[in-house]
Amino acid sequence: MTKVLLTDVDGKVLSVVKGPTGPEHRRLANEVMQRALEQANLQLDLVSYVVATGYGRLNVPFADRRITELTCHARGVYSLFPHVKTAIDIGGQDAKCMKVSHGRVVNFAMNDKCAAGTGRFLEVIAVALGVKVEDMGDISLRSRKKVHVSNLCTVFARQEVVARLSEGEKLEDIVAGLHDAVASRVVGLARTLRIEPDVVLTGGVAKNNGIVRAMQEHLRCEVLVPEDPLITGALGAAILAKDLWQESVARGERAPTELRRLKKATFFT
Amino acid sequence: MPNDSRGLAKAKQVYQERSRRARQLRAEGSRVIGYPCVYVPVEMLSALGLVPYRTYGDIREPVTEADRALPTSFCPFMRSCFDCALKAKDDFLDGMVVAHSCDPQEKTARLWESYVGYPYFHFMDVPGTVRPEAVEYFGGQLSDLKATLEAFTGQELTVERLRSAIQFHNEQRALVKELYELTKPAPPLVSGTEMLQVVKALMSLPVAEGNDLLKEVIGEVQGRTTGGPELKPVRLLVWSSTLDDVAIMEILESGANVVMDEGCGGMRAYRGEVKLTDEPMDGLARHYMDDITCARTFRQGADGETTKEYSQDLEKRFGYLKDVVEEWSINAAILLLVRYCDPFAFEVPSLRDYFDAVGIPSIYIEYDYAEGALAPLRTRVEAFFETIG
Repeated sequence: MTKVLLTDVDGKVLSVVKGPTGPEHRRLANEVMQRALEQANLQLDLVSYVVATGYGRLNVPFADRRITELTCHARGVYSLFPHVKTAIDIGGQDAKCMKVSHGRVVNFAMNDKCAAGTGRFLEVIAVALGVKVEDMGDISLRSRKKVHVSNLCTVFARQEVVARLSEGEKLEDIVAGLHDAVASRVVGLARTLRIEPDVVLTGGVAKNNGIVRAMQEHLRCEVLVPEDPLITGALGAAILAKDLWQESVARGERAPTELRRLKKATFFT
Repeated sequence: MPNDSRGLAKAKQVYQERSRRARQLRAEGSRVIGYPCVYVPVEMLSALGLVPYRTYGDIREPVTEADRALPTSFCPFMRSCFDCALKAKDDFLDGMVVAHSCDPQEKTARLWESYVGYPYFHFMDVPGTVRPEAVEYFGGQLSDLKATLEAFTGQELTVERLRSAIQFHNEQRALVKELYELTKPAPPLVSGTEMLQVVKALMSLPVAEGNDLLKEVIGEVQGRTTGGPELKPVRLLVWSSTLDDVAIMEILESGANVVMDEGCGGMRAYRGEVKLTDEPMDGLARHYMDDITCARTFRQGADGETTKEYSQDLEKRFGYLKDVVEEWSINAAILLLVRYCDPFAFEVPSLRDYFDAVGIPSIYIEYDYAEGALAPLRTRVEAFFETIG
């Protein structure tokens, strides 16, 4: 997903727009930006500073600065949960765990080897099970007995799940087992950082209450989830943009800004 | 006075066309011996007039042929090396000397030998520890290598020849150290990318030609007034299994000055020197066991003691890095491993503890040995720089 979030100088959120990131949409950050401007009733030249983040950060031609999603997520989560020490983001592509101190990343780990332990893992298996990915959380909460599912490989887990179904296992027990597999994988990644509370979970997968419960079981502590867990990266980017701009004004200089023209990205790097 | 030395440009050219000189020498009658590991005593090859040629994989070459023998879950570096061999990219080699640096290399060597077929092929064992018995055992391995090399060349590896070769290679070690001195200023006079090009060039040339190149590079870099690296906020140490392509180094140098590469594309082959002992093979054995700091070799704080202090153990294993950190004013370290490199990955927790103890922020990153898969590496590297910036 491509998200745009605009704030004013006090950090008040003016607009939030989420658009899909397809192969074509990746080039179209400008369209999502346009919608965000319309929502806030603003003209582009009133925007003082733009920070782009995420895998597509290089494809935003109107950005003034590019900052990785790790730094942005940590900053966004910290603005919502000032006591955060461990931030975990599970998105469609990857899972990342961050140790956070006063809103700054001090250490991090990202899943390295494959899609297991990410949102994609759940999406692939939801198709095999014939359920909607957004219903998986509620389904799993009905479970009384988790079915063990391998956490190592999305493809094999899919076969495993089909086999369990044919053996007559209940859907909710299988889904609960899947959540357990994702949670154990991600918590294993986070353990390399020495987990400390408060723990905050973000990313699309954080909307799944079954995952949140499984994470709490594995972590043996409460897991906090923001109201909109999809936008913490964009929120952090906007706050960093505000800070960078204010710092440069305080120094008596104008932050260097890109010529404000919304254009399509024409390059891939 | 303008500096008209072209050492760096030459090194870059050799880096880009690594096998060109070796092919030329072979056409003129020399014999070229490939070796994939820092534990192969190149002095013994040079002493017999053989050209030692360090083989690497190629991150720009998609692995295809190696699939017929090695699954995708195997060491990507060995897969790539083997793939290049199967594609006859190193078809100018008259032979190979392979060392038991790790199990993937040992097992790949078997396949290498049987699938490619070289006129000369020698596999040497390398002990996993540095105890006196291990040094003695390694000495025996060098004697075996001597015997097969003599049989292959039909020449005797005399003490005089070996001493002379050791002197040339010691000179190369000293020159590389001299060049690394020039990464000490801020900004450094020579970049990590340039160092990588120089080191890979050295490993593709006869030792005397390498030394001439180094002298030219050092002269050029010492006289540098423009064209050197820009000052970056981070002075980085890279600890790597192998970092052998400038595309990776350039990602690191987008936000840092890489002032030391503790890896096979950097300092690893050049630390210490071979002592000229009465029997030169003894000095060789001791050097390779004592001075090469590769994660595949086990070191401990105190041999034979029943209780050991963890800090003492770390000091024994990684103490040399503390000196490097101080002398090169390093303020961050990246532990950069090719994916699935278990011997190095098992060393990571202790090494990170050591860097914590000496106050150096560090990050551990695995990368796929493939040029097309460097975006995740870029994100991790940039995020790390943001945490310390």
